[in-house]
Amino acid sequence: MEVLRNKAQDLLAQGQAQIVIGYEAGTGGIRRPSFARTAADTARLVWDADCISNLAGYLTRPEIKRMGKTAIVANASTLRALLQLTAERQLAEDAVLALAVAEDGTVTELATAQAVTDHVAALPDALSAADREQMNLLASMSREERWVYWEKELQRCIKCYACRSSCPMCYCGTCTMDCNKPQWVPVPSHALGNLEYHTVRAMHLAGRCVECGECGRACPVGIPIHLLTCFAEESVHQQFGQKAGASAKLDYALGTFRPDDKESFIR
Amino acid sequence: MSRVGVFVCHCGENIGSTVDCPEVAERCKQMPGVVHAEDYKYLCSNPGQNKIKQAIKDHQLEGVVVAACSPRMHEPTFRRAVTDAGMNAYLCEVANLREHCSWVHEEADSTTEKAVDLVRLQLEKVKRNKPLQPIEVPITKTALVIGGGVAGIQAALDIADSGHKVILVERSPALGGHMAQLSETFPTLDCSQCILTPRMVDVSRHPNITLMTYSEVEHLDGFIGNFKATIRKRARKIDEELCTGCGECLQKCPSKDISDGFNEGLTTRRAIYVPFTQAVPNIPVIDVENCRHYQKKKCDRCVKACPTKAISFNQQDELIHVDVGAIVVATGYKVMSTEKFPEYGYGTYPDVITGLQFERYASASGPTQGVIKRPSDGKEPETVVFIACSGSRDAAKGVKYCSKICCMYTAKHAMLLKHKNHNSKAYVFYMDIRAAGKNYDEFVRRAIEEDGVKYIRGRVSRVYEEDGKLVVKGADTLLGGRPVEIKADLVVLATASLPNDGQSELARKLHVGCDEYGFLAEAHPKLKPVETNTAGIYLAGACQSPRDIPETVAQASAAAAKVAALLSRSHLTREPIVAEVNRRPAPLHSDCTGCFLCESACPYRAIGQEEILDRDGIVIKTIAKINPGLCQGCGTCVATCRTKAIDLHGFSNEQIFAEIMSL
Repeated sequence: MEVLRNKAQDLLAQGQAQIVIGYEAGTGGIRRPSFARTAADTARLVWDADCISNLAGYLTRPEIKRMGKTAIVANASTLRALLQLTAERQLAEDAVLALAVAEDGTVTELATAQAVTDHVAALPDALSAADREQMNLLASMSREERWVYWEKELQRCIKCYACRSSCPMCYCGTCTMDCNKPQWVPVPSHALGNLEYHTVRAMHLAGRCVECGECGRACPVGIPIHLLTCFAEESVHQQFGQKAGASAKLDYALGTFRPDDKESFIR
Repeated sequence: MSRVGVFVCHCGENIGSTVDCPEVAERCKQMPGVVHAEDYKYLCSNPGQNKIKQAIKDHQLEGVVVAACSPRMHEPTFRRAVTDAGMNAYLCEVANLREHCSWVHEEADSTTEKAVDLVRLQLEKVKRNKPLQPIEVPITKTALVIGGGVAGIQAALDIADSGHKVILVERSPALGGHMAQLSETFPTLDCSQCILTPRMVDVSRHPNITLMTYSEVEHLDGFIGNFKATIRKRARKIDEELCTGCGECLQKCPSKDISDGFNEGLTTRRAIYVPFTQAVPNIPVIDVENCRHYQKKKCDRCVKACPTKAISFNQQDELIHVDVGAIVVATGYKVMSTEKFPEYGYGTYPDVITGLQFERYASASGPTQGVIKRPSDGKEPETVVFIACSGSRDAAKGVKYCSKICCMYTAKHAMLLKHKNHNSKAYVFYMDIRAAGKNYDEFVRRAIEEDGVKYIRGRVSRVYEEDGKLVVKGADTLLGGRPVEIKADLVVLATASLPNDGQSELARKLHVGCDEYGFLAEAHPKLKPVETNTAGIYLAGACQSPRDIPETVAQASAAAAKVAALLSRSHLTREPIVAEVNRRPAPLHSDCTGCFLCESACPYRAIGQEEILDRDGIVIKTIAKINPGLCQGCGTCVATCRTKAIDLHGFSNEQIFAEIMSL
C-alpha cells in the first residue's frame, strides 16, 4: 500500500499526473472511489481484494478530463474498460496512466494502450466464480425458462437507471432512453417498459460489455442485471470470437462484416 | 392539420381483383388529414397522372399517397407527376398494394383491410415528410472496364468511340480472354481469332483507351460519377517502353516445362512468355514462381538475349490511382473442374479432355495446328464421344443451372471433327438440345443430318479403359433406357461454366451483389439487365451468367450505351435520401458521442469526422459526419447509433415510429 501511495505522490509531485483516481476506505468496510490531487490526498489511497469496482467510468467525465493528465489505480475490469473506451475513441490513446497493483504491493505503470493490452491478455476470466455459476445456470435453461426468469427479475425494476449510471460504457451524452421525439421506449417502470429498457441496454452492450458486474452491484433492488449483458457479451464472443476490452482497436461485432462469416445469407 | 390526397390504383386486374379499391378510397376519406381520396384503373397512365395533378390544385394538397404497385416500379413516375403540379417530389409516397397485398393474398375482407393499413402507414409517413432537394454531383468523364475478353473489348471500344476516355484493366498478360482460345465459332464457323484479334489491335491503338494488362482492381471508393479506383499493375519484370516484342528472350529461357494455361495444359511454355503469338500487347512477362533468376538466383539468359535491355528483374508492382465516372465489369467465367466426376475418368485417362482443350486441338493456333489428335499417343481419333451437361443441370454434383453454350459448342465440336476427319464417328450424349437463337437449331440439325453426328439422349454412367479404348457406358432414354456402350478413342466433356476465380472478392470490392451461384447480380432481370444495384457499375458478358459470344457482345454494347449516356451528362442528380448526424445546442453540440461504431458499419465508407470548434479554434468535440455524396441512404448507421444521433432524410425515426404506431 505504501508503494502505491508513494507512486501517486511522485506522479503528482513531478507533474506526470494532475489527478490520481483510486480507492479509499468507505463506510461499512466497502471501498469507495478516491480522487487524489495533492500529496496529502494520497494518504487515503488503499489497495486490497475489496477494490472491485470499475473506476473507468470516471475517465470519460468532462470534469475529470478538464483536470489534465489522469492516473488510475486499475483492477482488471478498469483496465478492460480503459481499452474499450480507447477503442471507441472516448479516450485518446495513451491519455491515461494505469497503475496495476500486484498482490505483493508492487505497482506497474501501464502508460500505453499496448502495455495495457499485454497486461490484460494475461489476466484470468472477468467473471467471479459465483457469477460464472449463475451464467452456467442460465445457459442450461431453455429459452422459455430464461424468459420466465428475466420476466420475474425485471418485474422488480424501478427504472432508477443506477445500472446505466454505474456502467463505464454508458457514456452517451443523450441516452436512447431519454429520447422522446419519438419516444421509442416507454418511460414508466411497467413490465413492457422494463423489458424494453433492459433488452435495448443488453443489445447496446453486446460486443462492448467488459463484464465488470458494476450494474449488478449498483442495482438497489438486487436484480443480477449484469448477467444479461454478460450473456449477450459471451454470445458475441462465442459466435464471432471477439471480446470487448481485449484491445484498443475497434472490432465491433454488430457493425462489421467479415468475408468468412458463418452465415451464408449475408455473403 | 395536413392536407393529404390518397389515390388508389386498380393496376388493371392486378390489385382490383383481390382488393376492393373503391372501399379503400372510401375508408381513407375517414382518416384524419385526408382531404381527398379516389380510385382509378391505371394511375400510372397519362389520365391517371392528370387526376393526381388536378387534385393537388383543386384541394391544395400538401402531400400525396399513391396506393399502387411497388415504388421500385413507379415511384419516379408519380414523383414527376406531383412535381408537374408544383409539389416537392418527396412529398409523394407510394403504398405498395400489389406486391405487398393483392399478389400475395386471396380476395377477402381481410385483404382489403390490409390494403387500408398499408395506406394508413404511408399517410402517417407523408404527414411528417419534409421537402427535399436533389443533390447535384459532377461526373468524371472516364470509364473503367474490368476484364479484357470479348465483352470488355466491345464495351471499351463502344465507349471510346462515343468520345469518352476508357481505362481497360485485364488480369492476364494479354487481351482476348476465352474467345482467343476458341477455334471456330457457332453458328457460322468463322475463325474466332480472325474476328477477335483485329478488335484487340483496335483497343491497343485507340486514342481514348488506356490499356492496362497484367493488372487488377485492388480497391474502389466513391460513387456513381465519382469513383476512385486503385489498380495494382503487377510487375511484368519487363520494361514496356523498351521492349520491342522481338521474342529473342523467349528462345533463351531454360525453364521449359511449365504448363501452358492458354493451351489448357496441353503444351508447355517457358518462364518468360507471351501467352499466344497474336497477343496484345506483344510484351512478354516473367513468371516469377518458375523463373530460375528468382528461384535459384543465378540465371540471366534473357537479359543477355534482350537487344534493348528491357528485362528489369527489380521491377515492382505499382499501385495506380485513377478517377472514373462509371465501371463496366466484364470478368468472364471459368469452366468447372472435372474432379467432381470421377466416373468420367478425367485425370485418370489422358484421352478424356474438356471442351476447352478440344477447342485448342481444333484451333489453327493450337498445339497441333488444328489437327484433332488425342493427348495419349498423338493419333487422330476415329471415334469421339461428347458428353454434354458435364456438371450443368446437375443439382447433386454440379450446378443447378444450364450453362447455355455447351449444346451449341458440342454440336460445333462434333461438326469440326467430321469436317477435319471424314472417316471419324461422333457421338453426343445429351439431356435436351437447347439451341434457341438465330440459326442455332439449324446448326444442330446440320450436324445431325448433313454431318451424321449421332445424338443419343441419355446420361453416361461410366467411362473406363479397355484394350486401349475408352469404353463409354450410358443409356438411350429414347429407346426405353436401353444400355449403350461405345468404344471411343477420345471423350470430350462439356463442363459447366462457373463464376470466374476471384469474382466474389471483386464483387465485395465494388459493392455489387452476387446471385446464389456467385455470378454478379443485375439490378432487375428484365428491365435493368446490365445495371447492378450499385449505381454507375454495369455488367457485360459471362460474369453475370453463362453467355455465348453474340449475347456477350450485345450486352457489352448495352452497358457501353449506359456508360456513354451517363458520361455525356454535365452533372448528376442524386436522391436526397441520405443520413445526417444531428446538431444540438451547446454544451452537447450533437447527440453523437464520437464512438465511430457507425464508421465501421457503413458499407459505403461515407462516414468521416467533423471537429466542433469553439471561437478560439479549439476542438470541443469530434463527431461523425456523413458525406452526402457517398451516402446511399441504407440506414445501417441509423440502426447502429446508440444515441439516435443519426437520422435518415425521408425515413426519419419520427416517420418510422409514426408508421408503426398507426397500426
